[in-house]
Amino acid sequence: MFHRRRATMAAFLLPAIVVYGVFMLYPLARGVYLSMTDSLGGPIADFVGTRQYRAMADDPAVTDALWHTVLYAAVVVVVQNGLGLLFASMLFRRPRVRKVLNVVLLTPTLISPVMAAFIWSYLFAPTGGINALLDLVGLHGLNHVWLGDTSTALYSVAAVNIWMFTGYSCAIFLAGYMNMPTELLEAAALDGASGWRRFRSIEWPLLAPALTVNVTLSLIGSLKVFEFPLVLTNGGPAGATDTLTLLVYRNVFGGGKFAYGVALSVVLLVTVVVLSSATSSLLRLRERRI
Amino acid sequence: MTSDITSPPIETRPAHLGKRRVPTRPRTTSGTSRNPLRRLAGGLGTALLCLGTLLFVLPFLFTVVTSLRTAADVARSPLGIPHSLTLKNFSDAFSQIHYGRSTLNTLLITSLSCVVITVIGSLAAYPLARITQHWSTAVYRLFILGTSVPVFVVVAPLYLLMRDLNLLDNYAGVVLIYTALNLPVAVFFYTSFIRGIPADLEEAAALDGCGAFRTFFTIILPLLRPVTSTLLTFVSLQIWNDLLVPLVFLQDPDKRTVMVNAYSFIDPHTVQPTTLFPAALLGVLPLLVIFVFFQRQVVAGMSAGAVKS
Repeated sequence: MFHRRRATMAAFLLPAIVVYGVFMLYPLARGVYLSMTDSLGGPIADFVGTRQYRAMADDPAVTDALWHTVLYAAVVVVVQNGLGLLFASMLFRRPRVRKVLNVVLLTPTLISPVMAAFIWSYLFAPTGGINALLDLVGLHGLNHVWLGDTSTALYSVAAVNIWMFTGYSCAIFLAGYMNMPTELLEAAALDGASGWRRFRSIEWPLLAPALTVNVTLSLIGSLKVFEFPLVLTNGGPAGATDTLTLLVYRNVFGGGKFAYGVALSVVLLVTVVVLSSATSSLLRLRERRI
Repeated sequence: MTSDITSPPIETRPAHLGKRRVPTRPRTTSGTSRNPLRRLAGGLGTALLCLGTLLFVLPFLFTVVTSLRTAADVARSPLGIPHSLTLKNFSDAFSQIHYGRSTLNTLLITSLSCVVITVIGSLAAYPLARITQHWSTAVYRLFILGTSVPVFVVVAPLYLLMRDLNLLDNYAGVVLIYTALNLPVAVFFYTSFIRGIPADLEEAAALDGCGAFRTFFTIILPLLRPVTSTLLTFVSLQIWNDLLVPLVFLQDPDKRTVMVNAYSFIDPHTVQPTTLFPAALLGVLPLLVIFVFFQRQVVAGMSAGAVKS
């Protein structure tokens, strides 16, 4: 009786396996194969081995994009989580304003990246909000063409990313705070530990799992960023904000270099998987050591 | 607010830290003491905190106010006090991005995808949570692998596949793509939730001759409600706000979603903020309305969504 029951149960998996297999695993495998052909997207394609990958080594656009992607991710991960942690620890100490401010901080997360990018494209404009605000507080000297200068464009795009997701990081850290055993915090208070000391030796170690989740998430999210650079700069000025995703999009749908674009997407996958699994296993190891 | 998350992404309490026991005493609020200097510092902190939060909503407020002003007024002073308010920008944007039609399209795609994801995701999670064998662990791992695969990696081969299956410009195609993309997170949510449900009840039902189907629908399914609402919040936000999938797979103007229409209508470098902002606001309006009503669930959902990329 139990045997038949288990067979029926296993059958429950079928619809999910079919959809996931056909629309996720199969395209994944086919992508890896296509990256080793000279396909233009049509039915005719020859196997060319590693030619597309070798071509990337000679393509400065690719090495630049890879560097931009990694730099962008590093800035976003550090600043977004730093700010999120700062907000979370301040909110945790102030139960009266906690709920309201947490919700307010989460509002940017709700809007779509495209819409966020639209709003900020105007705020960053030469006569837009940021410069006008700087004028208002008398800091004319800081006026800048934020998205038009190769030295600030990438960081400006990253700032929008940070603006949108800091509330998210904060919410996860706050969830970590709420899970802390109260006895421990009380004991610390009785021992007279407060402020920085309490944070450093009690809260920070207890937040280790939240940190792992936050860093891994923001890393994956920022490595595959697409809408922000697309809308804000479309890779410009002079390729200063070209990321791997933009190159994939342009090559695959811009015509001509289909297989090259697919090969780039495989590079993106490898980058995401390697960096995120390395980071999360390092952080897990750290969790166990603390 | 975030403590009622059902599938916890975060485990705390490292063993050695939890051991130290101290007799509980009525506690004074842990951070602030009665010292007036301390209290002043605390108040200052709260003020700074509110100011910091305000900086995060300022772009929003600015967007709303600018949307309500006339173009000439904004040109005169971008940050100035509005002289007159108008709703004309909104009605213009409404017709230019074909708002009614595209909202319906987005709503249709989002809700259909949500239904399919929850149904087949919960069905799949049941055996994965209850059968402990090598093959089921392998299948589970295969699903979880999907959480770190960016859409970009599969977008080109998916395009070819959809073309071969005649599913380009077809809602079913987009729904299937969203289902495949979100199944990993659904399977993860449901499996970890079902593992937390004691199996006693199901065993009793099995002894009474209740088959797997009936057990699932009468015992498991009703228990899944909290995790489903969390999952739905997370998944519907992703789908509603997505640009790439509808941009690539729905080219028929009548089938486009809000995000695609807004994206193709607006060129941020030439368009005025008074046309740009209302379009941006209209795009997120349905979500903001839902957020106001389901605040609690949304916040819980987003923190629990932490497991996904």
